[in-house]
Amino acid sequence: MDDKYSSNVLSSGQLGMVEVPNARLTRYIVLLLVSKVLKALGIFESYDLLKVVHIVQFIFILKLGCAVILVFFQKPFSSGKAISKRQWIKLLKHSVISCIISLLGFFGLTLCGPLRTLLLFEHSDVVVIALLSVLFTSSGGGPSKTRGAALFIIAVICLLLFDNDDLMAKMAEHPEGHHDSALTHALYTAIAFLGVADHKGGVVLLVVSLCLKIGFHTASRKLSVEIGGAKRLYALDNLVSCIVLLPWVIVVQSSWSALILPFGMIIFSVMILEFYVESICIAKMEAPRCARYGSIFLFLSGLLLANFWTHPLTEQLRTMSKTPQQESTETEHVLSGGVLVSAIFFIMADSILSSPSKKGQKGTLVGYSPEGTPLYNFMGDALQHTSQSLPRFIKDSLKQILEEYDSRQIFYFLCLNLAFTFVELFYGVWTNSLGLISDGFHMLFDCSALVLGLFAALMTRWKATRIYSYGYGRVEILSGFINGLFLMVIAFFVFVESVTRLVDPPNINTDMLTPVSVGGLLVNLVGICAFSHAHSHGAAKSNCSSHDHGHSHGHGSHGHSHGSSHGHSHGGGMNANMRGVFLHVLADTLGSVGVIISTILIRQFGWLIADPICSLFISTLIFLSVIPLLTDAAEVLLLRTPPEHEKDLNIALEKIEKVEGVLSYRDPHFWRHSASVIAGTIHLQLMSDVVEQRIIQQVTAILKDAGVNNLSVQVEKEAYFQHMSGLTTGFHDVLAMTQQMESMNYLKDGTCIM
Amino acid sequence: QGTIHPFRKTHRSFFGKLSQEFRLVTSDRQSWRILVFSMLNVFCTGCLLMWCSSTNSMALTAYTYLTIFDLFSRVFSVIFVCLIAHVCVCVFSTRFKRLEVLAVFASTVLVQLGALFILKESVERFVEQPEVHTGRLLVGTFVALFFNLLTLLSVKNKPFVYVSEAASTSWLQEHVADLSRSLCGIIPGLSSVLLPRMNPFVLINVAGALSLSITYMLIEINNYNAVDTASAVAIGLMIFGTMYPMSVYSGKVLLQTTPSHVIGQLDKLLREVSTLEGVLEVRNEHFWTVGFGSLAGSVHVRIRRDANEQMVLAHVTNRLFTLVSTLTVQIFKDDWIRPSLMAEALPASTLRPSDYGGLSSFVPPPPKPSEDINRLTSTPFKPSSPPPEFSFNTPGRHVHPVVLPNTQPQRPYGMGLSYGASPYTSMLNQDLARPGMGIGIGMNLGMGAGMPSLQ
Repeated sequence: MDDKYSSNVLSSGQLGMVEVPNARLTRYIVLLLVSKVLKALGIFESYDLLKVVHIVQFIFILKLGCAVILVFFQKPFSSGKAISKRQWIKLLKHSVISCIISLLGFFGLTLCGPLRTLLLFEHSDVVVIALLSVLFTSSGGGPSKTRGAALFIIAVICLLLFDNDDLMAKMAEHPEGHHDSALTHALYTAIAFLGVADHKGGVVLLVVSLCLKIGFHTASRKLSVEIGGAKRLYALDNLVSCIVLLPWVIVVQSSWSALILPFGMIIFSVMILEFYVESICIAKMEAPRCARYGSIFLFLSGLLLANFWTHPLTEQLRTMSKTPQQESTETEHVLSGGVLVSAIFFIMADSILSSPSKKGQKGTLVGYSPEGTPLYNFMGDALQHTSQSLPRFIKDSLKQILEEYDSRQIFYFLCLNLAFTFVELFYGVWTNSLGLISDGFHMLFDCSALVLGLFAALMTRWKATRIYSYGYGRVEILSGFINGLFLMVIAFFVFVESVTRLVDPPNINTDMLTPVSVGGLLVNLVGICAFSHAHSHGAAKSNCSSHDHGHSHGHGSHGHSHGSSHGHSHGGGMNANMRGVFLHVLADTLGSVGVIISTILIRQFGWLIADPICSLFISTLIFLSVIPLLTDAAEVLLLRTPPEHEKDLNIALEKIEKVEGVLSYRDPHFWRHSASVIAGTIHLQLMSDVVEQRIIQQVTAILKDAGVNNLSVQVEKEAYFQHMSGLTTGFHDVLAMTQQMESMNYLKDGTCIM
Repeated sequence: QGTIHPFRKTHRSFFGKLSQEFRLVTSDRQSWRILVFSMLNVFCTGCLLMWCSSTNSMALTAYTYLTIFDLFSRVFSVIFVCLIAHVCVCVFSTRFKRLEVLAVFASTVLVQLGALFILKESVERFVEQPEVHTGRLLVGTFVALFFNLLTLLSVKNKPFVYVSEAASTSWLQEHVADLSRSLCGIIPGLSSVLLPRMNPFVLINVAGALSLSITYMLIEINNYNAVDTASAVAIGLMIFGTMYPMSVYSGKVLLQTTPSHVIGQLDKLLREVSTLEGVLEVRNEHFWTVGFGSLAGSVHVRIRRDANEQMVLAHVTNRLFTLVSTLTVQIFKDDWIRPSLMAEALPASTLRPSDYGGLSSFVPPPPKPSEDINRLTSTPFKPSSPPPEFSFNTPGRHVHPVVLPNTQPQRPYGMGLSYGASPYTSMLNQDLARPGMGIGIGMNLGMGAGMPSLQ
């Protein structure tokens, strides 16, 4: 494979971790398999039990039984060092949290059934930590981990969306009316508030409690060291949680004495056997492999059980439950296609996420050792730069934004726009109006252009780096270009939409439109007022078309800015970014005006066709007004000689020719780099008896008058060509050089473009 | 006459130009083919757009945008062929290259904006999912896939091919590479097919078709209409993933940045330049790519007051010329008004042997500060250059000057250059002492052989 050549160091066989062959671990794998099957069985059984036994009581019994057995085996009091008072308090906190988590977990079990609980809740720490690191850190560990995370999320979404469990629809109506306790009732109401079906609420609950569980496990590691081993902690934890739960259990009285046997089975399989086997396996095999096998076994056995489980306890339970329930709701969670798919995805995701990260650190090749093995440098990853704290970052960037006029304007307008959008969205959700919501999304879509402009305005002020040797000024022009393209796309979509509507004009409900469009118009007018200043400062020269159209369309509110802008458009540099933003706002304004006009027309005359015609008109306007921006930005990007300086430059070049000692010039390239920088390069041929530096100074001064402020002059004398011919010595080069020397007398066309 | 306005020109005499270009295009066979494919593509796109509205499927619309993107790139290539055909290439070649970059950038950005639009529409659709008719879905998918692959594989669009190879890999490519690597671990025979870098366009076309087929299946079987929206989002994200690296690459070219892959080489060359004799510092170095691949640059070099400007200029240009084809070097001297000793008056013929030791490992003779002329025209290397690997002043090398058989034809090296023979013979010695230094040596040998015979 090409591992040898990639920068991946640890992946080749000799260097990586040595995996123990499976044959030696067969015993442990079988043990793991048995324990996982038993655990799945236990969970299925406890689902049945939970139908009759109250959940708090259930957990209490589990913890109690577990504690008794563990105290008997582990002898936490007689062995090990004594536990101090502070540790007892920590232990108390620990057990309270563990109670809450198991409460959530078992409540999720009652909501969405054993199989789904197994799939969602029983992931090992390794898997979840890998998942979270992919989601929330940049160094997730290669594409395979990303894939695993995507699979995991898809599996959860599958459970959420495509798992139409028939029973859940029934349960969503809350037929029981009364809930056993205040706690369950609170949880039920919380889920009902979310507005999803119970089983989906259960899925969400389980995912949340899974994350809680993992966080809890990670956090309790320190405590387990303090106490003296995970097993001792587990035993003590169970004991303390019993005590914590005791008062509650006394309040909730119900009989469960007939259920000793199933409880014993659950305690043994879910709480004790699994714990011990897991700890042994992690000691013998490495944790990732243990996690992989464990989850595969667990999910497979869960699937099998879901298919064949006949609820042997149900009959027995029904006879013993005091209130003979009407039980028309024979509530069993079926095995649907969605669950099957998501189980497969979960298995795949777990095996990917728990596989040890093959991808070593990315190193840069620095050279080869004397033996010939490549040497890598791990500087970048090894010294992980500390991330800035978020509030500080926000504060810094806000300060930067507010420093300068352009970005401040954009920022304020963006805030205004976003506020309007969110008001619209909330109102839309409140009144359940789809039109408003869709308009809100449209506004958000538009805001992305503003964000782009803001970002570009911010970037423009960054310092020049090695790569961006002229500074970031050009970003502004590029962003103006992108914004222009954006507007083209919008115009295109509006055009297509209006053409289809022209063919078949739909009936429009005009009630909601007017206030929204008037609000949008107001917001955009504010924007136009804010930006028109910057706009008139920028090169408004080529904006004539938009200006004319604007007038003919009849909003004179910003006409004055255009009128005044023609005079001094040549003076300031052009700011394509602000122009792009301005055009965007203008397009939005046009849109709202169009909506208002068409609503009036439809209301007054019932012309349904007015709406598509209006939007057709508007899209054409947008398109036409964008073209100048696009061409200007494209010319700058193509390194064209700036047209407003072209005449000056030609004059300057003529002057240069006349400078004493200058024979000729070649390759004069002048281009606008950014709004403020016009760069240029020129090669001069001199007579051999003049001082170069003087000429350089003169030429620089001449070109500076013509507007070029970043210039490189290469001064060549005959000696240079001789040296060059001596150095390069290729025959063709020499020939070319000679020809160049001969052609020194030619007058070249001055406005060649790079 | 020196400037063309690609946009305005088309505006001025649009129809006349169009017919002229059309004639030009049809005269050429290659462009004829491109034109036919463009027509096919337009037709196919129209069909697809109609089917999109009839099926009401977002995913198919997203996939259609890929077709439109193909159309764009095709149309651009047609325009280029026209431009090559009748705009004089020699005058506008650099600008033309730049136009290619702009075209790639614009089309990738446009298709990304289209994908953004798709994402927005999909979010709206998640709120209320309309019915999707599957009647034409599969047909449309396969028609689009077929046409896309056909045009992709039969019409080579040079700039796009270049960008797709030069830009960093998209996430789609990365995942496919990762998957295929693990697949090759199982079936080693596939390695020649799967391991090379995938063409991103083919990849995204196939992946989009795949997700559309899955959508079709799920809607047919279970009537999950939400799958359509989900797959539209997926296709949109894939479009983003594929196009983003390309637009970043071409955008960086447009922003006049130094391409990061040559920075190492450039730094090495600049270090070499700054160790040249007489050079004090190198500053204001700007390097950028004009078109795809061709580097241009300008650099300011500050030199000692008594250094020979033309000599330093020649050496700097010679160093950088290998990497930077369009170069402007400005030489700075502080305090140049005070007349320097005799740097200007120095005739070229008095150049010392060591002046043309252009190779970096070349070692200077020990500096003799007492001699004025020698200091001025001595080797362009500072005395503080790294310790010698060999010394060409050792007697053993000078005792036996190798006489070259005059195998090469006599070169017309007349040109009135008054170079002494000595620089080149010494160079010859040096080069012979270090065989296998590359192409430059062959040149030098030829020169060395030619020179003595002239004089």
